[in-house]
Amino acid sequence: MSMPAQAWILGNRALREATRTPDSSIPTLFIPLFFLIVNVGQAADVFPSDATPFLFGQSYAAFQLPSSLLLAASFGSAALYLVEDIEGGYFDKLRATPISRTAIVMGRLTAEAAKGVLITIILVLISLPFGVHIESGLLGWVLLIVLAASWGVVFSAFMQILALKTRSAAATNSGSLIFFPLLFLTPNFVPRELLTRPMEIAASFNPVTYIMEGLRSLVLQDIQWGTVGKGFAVVAVAGVLAVFLNVRTIRNYD
Amino acid sequence: MTLAIEAHQLVKRYSGRGGSDVEAVRGVDLEVAEGEVFGFLGPNGAGKSTTVRMLTTLMSITSGTARVAGVDVAAEPDRARKQIGVALQEAGLDPRQTGRELLILQCRLFGQSKGAAVARSSELLALVDLEDAADRRVKTYSGGMKRRLDLASALVHEPSVLFLDEPTTGLDPASRLSVWEEMRRINGRGTTVFLTTQYLEEADQLCNRLAIIDEGRIVREGTPAELKAELRRRKKLKRNPTLDEVFLDATGRSRERAAGEVQEVSA
Repeated sequence: MSMPAQAWILGNRALREATRTPDSSIPTLFIPLFFLIVNVGQAADVFPSDATPFLFGQSYAAFQLPSSLLLAASFGSAALYLVEDIEGGYFDKLRATPISRTAIVMGRLTAEAAKGVLITIILVLISLPFGVHIESGLLGWVLLIVLAASWGVVFSAFMQILALKTRSAAATNSGSLIFFPLLFLTPNFVPRELLTRPMEIAASFNPVTYIMEGLRSLVLQDIQWGTVGKGFAVVAVAGVLAVFLNVRTIRNYD
Repeated sequence: MTLAIEAHQLVKRYSGRGGSDVEAVRGVDLEVAEGEVFGFLGPNGAGKSTTVRMLTTLMSITSGTARVAGVDVAAEPDRARKQIGVALQEAGLDPRQTGRELLILQCRLFGQSKGAAVARSSELLALVDLEDAADRRVKTYSGGMKRRLDLASALVHEPSVLFLDEPTTGLDPASRLSVWEEMRRINGRGTTVFLTTQYLEEADQLCNRLAIIDEGRIVREGTPAELKAELRRRKKLKRNPTLDEVFLDATGRSRERAAGEVQEVSA
């Protein structure tokens, strides 16, 4: 059986697990939605759509939506379920089977991709009544979903490395907080060029900025291939690195 | 004699804190014949589980060689995994799946088609008497049921060698008896069983031969009868010693010291 087929089988198991613990998905939806409402409530009057060029005629909710999508992507549960498998002994059961080590780490990430697609669709649909529309059309919709879900997979992959290294739920949970500032060292409230100079420099060095700008361009404008391309490039490079480190960690796992 | 397990000078060394090395297994030699039930006894921390983890490809080998079913476990781990069934100390089960789902998944991971996996899982559920609970989630199972399911999941691919690491620890006498029956039945079909246990009565009942490991080294090896006879001769005893006396003699432990490490049970 090929590695992708093995990963698919394990991905199905992870999805079944997710459907049986629906409560674990509530924060993934609720918290990003909460931030969307609060941020829009705080700043919408400061940035009226008819007098704010960077909104391209849309509401401030449209500008904020990508932040919420990225926040949702950082709530992936793959790493915590992996720690459960390690602590409960099921991970050793999987390691004792003759399947590819890559498939073991890719299985959960496959499920994260499916969950990411679903959550992104739900969040975008919820945002529509707030005056948001996806300016880039059907292809833009697809690109938006793929980019947000892919980042969710990459984020989960980095968390899985922590889970494999520490084998502890507490340490993995704490580790995810290290990534949190990355979400906020971005042009979260205004475009990069309107940030203070130090923040602009910090945001320019932060890879998450380019994913956020890619997502934002898809919501606010026709497809800007240069901006969207940078977002996908960041996801691709980070994804390759994360999967490489995952595979190396599981191969050296004793 | 065809060997199912063959280990030569097996060593596992960990890097301890402060740069000092800890040797958990210190040059273990083992030869287990095909079709045997081989008992591997030792106090807590003696190196039993570490040895099992090395033999089952779950842990790297610092030095030495190990072959299971003729396959070098370090050089060809995937080939070895196809020959090995493993049920470790903690029943490694996913509590959110049903027993049937878990077995089907395990069959699929050993390369079986969906249809074959469904058929094999039904066969195994019947074998371990879990048909009635097959579609319940594993988290609702009792300890004994979990052990039996774990055993079944180790058998999906009809392994030639089955490693059972303390399979009855924590079970009530009835569940323990049922695991013993399964073990005998599996061995009766020709599967070699490598059993680690802290229960000396269990080893006496089930094992053709056994080895006692202490502080990472094998200190006794033979059939239960041979080990008892050797102790009787050496100590000039008037009666046949029990296996726990053999164990205490081999590990240099007093009854008091061993009380917390080894338990004698009857089931």
